[in-house]
Amino acid sequence: MKKRRYGMVIDLDRCTGCGACSVACAAENNVPPAAPRATERTGITPLRVQPVSNGASGPARREVFIPLMCMQCGEHTPCVSVCPQQAVEVDSATGIVTQMPQRCLGCRYCMTACPYHARYFNWWDPEWPAGMEKTLNPGVATRMRGVVEKCNLCHSRLHAAEDKAAAANQREVNPADYVPACVEACPTGAILFGDLADETSAVARAARAPQAFRLLEKLGTEPKVYYRSNRPWVRALAEPRTVPAKEVQRG
Amino acid sequence: MASYAVADRRWIERGVERTSTLRFALWLVPWALLLALGVYAAGLCLRFGLNQTNMDNRFPFGLWIFLDLSIIALGAGAFFTGFLVYILKFKELKAVLNTAVVVGFICYSGAVGILMIDVGQPLRAWFTFWHPNTHSMLTEVTFCITCYLVVLLFEYIPVLLRNRQLRRVPSFLIFEHRLHLLVPVLAAVGTLLSFFHQGSLGGLYGVLRGRPFAFREGIAIWPSTFFLFILSAIAAGPSFLLLITSLVEKVTGRKLVEFSVLCRLGRISGLLTAVYVAAKAVDTLAWLNRTSPSLGFAPWEFYSYKPFGTWLMLAEIVLFGLVPAVLLLHPKTASRRGWLISAALLVCGGILLNRFILTVQTLALPTLAFDEFVSYLPSWQEVASFGAVVAYGVIVYSLSYRYLPLFPQEKREGYRVSGR
Amino acid sequence: MKPSRRNLLALGGGAMAGVVFTPLPWKLLDDTAIWTQNWPWIPQPARGPVEVKAAACSLCPHGCGLQVRMAAGFPVGVSGAPAHPVSGGALCPLAFGAHQLNWHPRRLHEVRRRGRAASWDAASMALRAAAAEGPVAVIDGRPGRGASAILRDFAGKSGAYITAPGPEERSLAPYAAWSGVPASALGYDLESARTIISFGAPLLDGWGTPGRFTRLWSTHAAGLGDPELRLIQIEPGLSHTATLAWRWVPARPGSDAALAAGLARVLVEERLVPAKGPVPATSVADAAGAAGLPADAIVELARMIAQRAPALAISVDGEPAVAALNLLLGGGIVQRRETAAPQAAAIAPRAVVIDATVPWEYEPASGAEVFRFAAWDGGGSKADWLLPAPGFLEEITEHPSAPGSAVASYALSPALMDAPADVRGAAAFVGGTPADAVLARCQEIFRARNGGLYRRGAKDAVPLASLESAARLQDELLAGAVWVDDPAGSRKVRCELKEWPAAAAGTHRGGWADAWSAPVLPPLATKLYQESNLREVPARSRI
Repeated sequence: MKKRRYGMVIDLDRCTGCGACSVACAAENNVPPAAPRATERTGITPLRVQPVSNGASGPARREVFIPLMCMQCGEHTPCVSVCPQQAVEVDSATGIVTQMPQRCLGCRYCMTACPYHARYFNWWDPEWPAGMEKTLNPGVATRMRGVVEKCNLCHSRLHAAEDKAAAANQREVNPADYVPACVEACPTGAILFGDLADETSAVARAARAPQAFRLLEKLGTEPKVYYRSNRPWVRALAEPRTVPAKEVQRG
Repeated sequence: MASYAVADRRWIERGVERTSTLRFALWLVPWALLLALGVYAAGLCLRFGLNQTNMDNRFPFGLWIFLDLSIIALGAGAFFTGFLVYILKFKELKAVLNTAVVVGFICYSGAVGILMIDVGQPLRAWFTFWHPNTHSMLTEVTFCITCYLVVLLFEYIPVLLRNRQLRRVPSFLIFEHRLHLLVPVLAAVGTLLSFFHQGSLGGLYGVLRGRPFAFREGIAIWPSTFFLFILSAIAAGPSFLLLITSLVEKVTGRKLVEFSVLCRLGRISGLLTAVYVAAKAVDTLAWLNRTSPSLGFAPWEFYSYKPFGTWLMLAEIVLFGLVPAVLLLHPKTASRRGWLISAALLVCGGILLNRFILTVQTLALPTLAFDEFVSYLPSWQEVASFGAVVAYGVIVYSLSYRYLPLFPQEKREGYRVSGR
Repeated sequence: MKPSRRNLLALGGGAMAGVVFTPLPWKLLDDTAIWTQNWPWIPQPARGPVEVKAAACSLCPHGCGLQVRMAAGFPVGVSGAPAHPVSGGALCPLAFGAHQLNWHPRRLHEVRRRGRAASWDAASMALRAAAAEGPVAVIDGRPGRGASAILRDFAGKSGAYITAPGPEERSLAPYAAWSGVPASALGYDLESARTIISFGAPLLDGWGTPGRFTRLWSTHAAGLGDPELRLIQIEPGLSHTATLAWRWVPARPGSDAALAAGLARVLVEERLVPAKGPVPATSVADAAGAAGLPADAIVELARMIAQRAPALAISVDGEPAVAALNLLLGGGIVQRRETAAPQAAAIAPRAVVIDATVPWEYEPASGAEVFRFAAWDGGGSKADWLLPAPGFLEEITEHPSAPGSAVASYALSPALMDAPADVRGAAAFVGGTPADAVLARCQEIFRARNGGLYRRGAKDAVPLASLESAARLQDELLAGAVWVDDPAGSRKVRCELKEWPAAAAGTHRGGWADAWSAPVLPPLATKLYQESNLREVPARSRI
């Protein structure tokens, strides 16, 4: 199989901030509903949608909704080198940054290393109301308290697609067979997913477009999640803030 | 009661004076209570998980890591004194060597204890040894700290076996003697291990490319913080030892070491602090002008979130660096007990501030354009668990001081009771 | 040898040292790796054959097409049915966690009378007794189903069959009043509009069928400087829809009527639209004062609206002045080809039966004995009887035309799970046979021979004539096909408007959580409001 580099281009002009991706992600990956005391800083949202405003007031004020997940850094991947027990690795065949919760000690060093805050710690034991465990996705193992988890581009779906290709004696995975849950869930089709290494793929072409950008590109970590927008103020969010804006968060 | 006191008396070194059994027991009571509370809090964390703390996904490191880094740096006096005594032959420092070993042992075992609560899956601690990631600074830290804790244990055991009663067991005596021969070797091994883990603790933050506030360039695989941490730890270690010894003298009302020994510690600390301050200044300039801008971050932005202003950087380098270095090196101030202790306090305070800035400010600062500057206050469970480490330290030191010959010179003339 | 303390110590020490050379400690250590990932209290997913089933979402009246992944006989994942003629493959965020709802802690498992456990027999007797004493009102949340016919028959001539309108139907109320066509048969022709003026309607945030307007917007409007489809949002605050709109006009709250009148005046005075019907008395200056906007801005806005026709004005709360403005603009309000029950005359019922399809907030006028069907207890209901209904995917559900849609449609969703033993639907409770009613509805559609059948994933419809029987149609529908009427079957509604309408006091704001009729949220919705800052905490979030 040839080397792939799975990535996505998210059209921020098409995101309505509905959050379907976030819920679909949680359902697919057997993420439990929030513990009673969980907050937006202790919850588990491998994909979360962040509303960001342009800082203006009055009718000029606008917001953009930014779906944030693991950016699948390809170079100097910050979380990989820091893990003391090799619970994180970059899959050389797919470029996917994988987290092995079974290997994780829960030291949270990777979380301090991640500039995108895309890693989540299981502060509580996962709990579902009685009987609801029947609805857990059989493709994904549940995680225990005290380990870190994050987006792995729906790894179980990749495995299923690879199995299917192998069963049909095909060398390559059919792109239609491997679609992460968030991409599938987006009602406006704002997320384009595919193999960035394939120059002809729609996602590779979209990533090369002048409106495409990546967050904190200068860190040199070569993220594989791209965003695109026609609005210059949205594209400016790629860079770290130069003036501390009080009004960045919504509300 | 009296029989207890007699029995107790038999365990105390001949020829030294210690406070009455009752007074000693009363002294231990509050610390034991604090220890119990902390053990309860730690138990809560182990039973219910780290949701008992106020750490969160944006603040994954908190009070515990900050204080772990701090006490490991302060505990550096142990290996460094051993290094000075056995390798560089600073014979007069032998007077504080046992104290250094006990303090070091307390600091390291306390830090490891807290780390075991701090990780989400303590039962998997051994994974690091079984599946080590050799690229991780934390692997290096884990290996070195564990090995060094064993070294410290072997350095502590001879002191323990010199207890008046334990000494009477012949095999213990032989064992102690054998170990004693090993001590110079242990000191050398300890020095090597300590250099690496002190450095790796600094490297822990220096390698964080994703946190440009902490990221540093360096030599080969070691970021500059690797070397700065070693320097600051060996600068602060002697100062901390000086403080502890003075404190013990104050609390017990006894003269335990010659003032000249304290002066010697102060001078060593001052010299190293001066070197550290110079290196830190160069490092800061390189970071301001090169490292941070190259990652796309304007360094002054890091200081625009109150209360973490530039004053912190200046305080760290000048008030807690340059000032104590001058005080410790200037002959007039270095020979006055008051100045000496104040300067040592500043050096140790500087270490705390440095570890605080690296742990807390790094995590509080935003990275993405739309991040918030986040804050964090430890929960009572975190504070109490750490309180238990302090209590444990006080209790172990108190017992060691009472029953072990921590200061062998104490029995000699001139050390007789000056106070109570 | 006499055992001494020394021997014992030596023995103990030796044993300790010896154990290290046995596998025991190492096996135990190794086992911690297994224990820590398999603690018995951490639920693990059940294994079993995985299959994908077609279904439709019953959480709200829009009936989006679902693909439900089933494993070991239980639903383990929900996704949108691609190319579904109603929802176009899109779903709202709540649908993705809906398969967990049947195990929600607020699930109703027993009949309750004023909070105490009771029996179906008691409820049945109470209803019969009440019906003997006076008229019965039946409230239906989804008219147009076979089950609706059962409920209508049960209400009978002396009683009342009342439909509970959702946000889209409420916004269509003025047209119903002016045309005589029930709001439940009216719809918006969004697809041909080139300018949409929304007075607070959360078009991109839960208003209407998910995947209907959002798809139009994302194809024709999103991120374009001068889009093909211009969305102008008039709303006091920066809502999700306002921030995504082409233009956002922050008018004062409660000024919709005045602003609509002001716009109408400019349109007529500047001859931007062909003058027809009544003209408002409100001056542009008055409208500007009420809306807190400069008069120039209103003139400019009117010109902008007229620039790209056809334009469609939508009010979130059925403000008549906005409807009148829409008529002036020639905005597309269509009447679907279906027979809708006319709104019943007001009666003072002795008993009220509320179907499980009715939004939880619906509270009937007091004085009657209320029989409320619901699968979940949303809390705070004043109903005398709380009757447990089948939950999500636990019974065959019917999905008539989505509220506000431009063409009639009908879909069925199979029961993918067994319902708990003691639950019943309202139609069965009042003595009907829902299965017969569904077949009857299929026969109705089959006999009319209108429109066609969209099978799962198919872009084109199969003509109804190609099916041999109504039973065959029903089978197709249960397998995931959707019957959709011929678009030509819908026609523009004719409204008689004598004078410019007075402002009505509408307060409803709509929105995804508001539009959604079930009494509880799927547990995973915590990702939206508790574990991120994407949404406000909805009232129904309690577990």
